[in-house]
Amino acid sequence: MSDIKPKISVSNLNVFYGSKQAIFDINMSINSKEVTAFIGPSGCGKSTLLRCFNRMNDLIDICKINGSIKLDDLEVYSKKIDIVRLRTRVGMVFQKPNPFPKSIYDNVAYGPKIHGLCKDVSELDGIVEKSLQSAGLWEEVKDRLHEPGTGISGGQQQRLCIARAIATNPEVILMDEPCSALDPIATAKVEELIDSLKKNFTIIIVTHNMQQAARVSQKTAFFHLGALIEFGNTDKVFTSPEKEKTSDYITGRFG
Amino acid sequence: MNKEFLNKRYKKEKRFILIGRVAVSLTIIFLVILLGSILLRGISGFYTTNIFLTTNLSQEIIDPENKKNVEEIYKSSWRKIARNSIYDVLSAFNKSKNIDKISRKDKRDFLKLFSRSSEFYIRDFTLENLDSIGKEVKISIPSSSLVDQFLKGKINIAVNEDDRPINDKQISWINFMVENKMIERKFNINFFYKGDSRNAEEAGILGAIVGSFFVILVAIIVAFPVGVMSAIYLEEFAPKNKITNIIEVNINNLAAVPSIVFGLLGLAIFLNFFGLPRSSPLAGGLVLALMTLPTIIISSRVAIKSVPPSIREAAMGIGASKMQSVFHHVIPLAVPGILTGTIIGMARALGETAPLLMMGMVAFIVDVPQSITDPSTVLPAQIFLWSDQPERGFEEKTAAATIILLVFLLTMNALAVFLRYKYERKW
Ligand SMILES: Nc1ncnc2c1ncn2[C@@H]1O[C@H](COP(=O)(O)OP(=O)(O)OP(=O)(O)O)[C@@H](O)[C@H]1O
Ligand SMILES: [Mg+2]
Repeated sequence: MSDIKPKISVSNLNVFYGSKQAIFDINMSINSKEVTAFIGPSGCGKSTLLRCFNRMNDLIDICKINGSIKLDDLEVYSKKIDIVRLRTRVGMVFQKPNPFPKSIYDNVAYGPKIHGLCKDVSELDGIVEKSLQSAGLWEEVKDRLHEPGTGISGGQQQRLCIARAIATNPEVILMDEPCSALDPIATAKVEELIDSLKKNFTIIIVTHNMQQAARVSQKTAFFHLGALIEFGNTDKVFTSPEKEKTSDYITGRFG
Repeated sequence: MNKEFLNKRYKKEKRFILIGRVAVSLTIIFLVILLGSILLRGISGFYTTNIFLTTNLSQEIIDPENKKNVEEIYKSSWRKIARNSIYDVLSAFNKSKNIDKISRKDKRDFLKLFSRSSEFYIRDFTLENLDSIGKEVKISIPSSSLVDQFLKGKINIAVNEDDRPINDKQISWINFMVENKMIERKFNINFFYKGDSRNAEEAGILGAIVGSFFVILVAIIVAFPVGVMSAIYLEEFAPKNKITNIIEVNINNLAAVPSIVFGLLGLAIFLNFFGLPRSSPLAGGLVLALMTLPTIIISSRVAIKSVPPSIREAAMGIGASKMQSVFHHVIPLAVPGILTGTIIGMARALGETAPLLMMGMVAFIVDVPQSITDPSTVLPAQIFLWSDQPERGFEEKTAAATIILLVFLLTMNALAVFLRYKYERKW
């Protein structure tokens, strides 16, 4: 496991909301081009940790972080880092689909535009089409690219958000319960999509759905009360967990 | 659940709905009464009475040497011409009634049936039609407000002659002119083309409209950018600490300060310290800008705050800077709220008199202002001034001006509603 260089490595990470500690001394490495699932009972700090990777926690004034997170060789919490640059490398998909109230096209084109990733309109068109295709949405929306992104179904909106995230060509995609607002069919589509995306992206997904974690991920991390209890290959975590707490949670005895 | 309990619940609901309907009906009734009475009284103010006066534009008096020199014609004795033609009417009346003596009192009373500026109408007519000098022409000139009010039935003639502004002789003169088709009822264009006047039949609203327009213009130009920028800064960029807290509390306090206090402030700062021209829309507009600033800031902040955080997160999540996320995503969604707040603030400013009192804008000003530094008055101040006039004719002017003010206010509110629908929340 240690012979491949990890994409993200976390060491001695502690996160506080004011005086309340939400994350306790976490160490973990996340591999490149794999899907890593975060599971654990509500309030255990999965979202908090996830939001550390692209510094979305900066938006919360009371949130304080110590420890280190490295993206390749880049220290995420160093003072010199360009956060805008970081967020183009680490994209994010949120729990509730949150397309901009603009057209489908503009939703996807916004990232490349503000980062100057394209020279002209035709190149931008290309990026939009490619991203929508990767998100498996192209066929459904290609005739209505200029209709509002908020006017499509919830599942389509979530895939639009995924397309928007991959349009800036990130290395890592963070997904915080991306399917919790979707029906089983839309969920299946997104899961399929995640599976196909792992060829090109490193994906971290938070989920409350054990089957989903088992289906889509290669690695699973189980958290409890802000601590990382168990982290390993998904097969192993689900079939023969080392810790009692993990097996209790997976079999539904708490959480 | 037992039946009795359910019934009770339904009854409660019915009672509540009933109370609500009564309340709404009452509001509507009051509104109808208010608008109805203003309309009833004001509509007639848009009409006025003119008298066709057969005037002899005597060559001798106007242009004895036939030089057609406009300046000299301008200076001729128009009063004499006007008086002559007015007294001719009186003579005609007397002839028809076989009276041969004209007393001075009769002359004076008869003169009161005509506008005090009759001579200027004759003069202006002549200057436009130089060919008619030396001829006899029929010119339509405004009657005095006395005739106008009498013909509109606004003067109670049932009372004793001494107790009414019009005497029996005057009434018979008016009837004579009506019989001879000398009286014309027409739309009062002058009302929209002139400034204030001491004579009701001459008084117009244009000065006040232009004054109000300039004042609101100044207020918008100052208050809108400052207010919106403050709101954006406070809501999105300012650190949350004691100082910003104090600022926030004080903005809310400012919104509750009585408007007259802003007038005092304006008097001290804009007039006394900066020495801006008194009674000018510039000074008045600045005071109203100060007054509406808190309203604009508060409503803009509410509009900005109500943009869901998920939109900001989405923008930040793909690497937009704070500035980009605010200006590309948050502000466009907040625009309807910001505009609505601004328009409502401006509508309030449009109806405000108290602070302008301090700035000397509640004043008798005849000239229509040409720029924001000319002395001027505003619509509500004009209404107040007219309502204070003892002369009968000003009563309907007051109501007519009120109608105009209401039309402006309703237009602004309609604009606010329109903007809200046009840019309705799209998330
Ligand atoms: N903005 C915040 N301010 C203060 N405390 C917070 C904030 N966000 C989260 N917390 C606290 O941090 C802890 C971890 O929260 P977090 O949202 O990371 O949990 P989670 O594992 O994602 O839960 P869920 O599965 O319900 O989404 C919780 O105890 C929560 O109360
Ligand atoms: Mg969460």
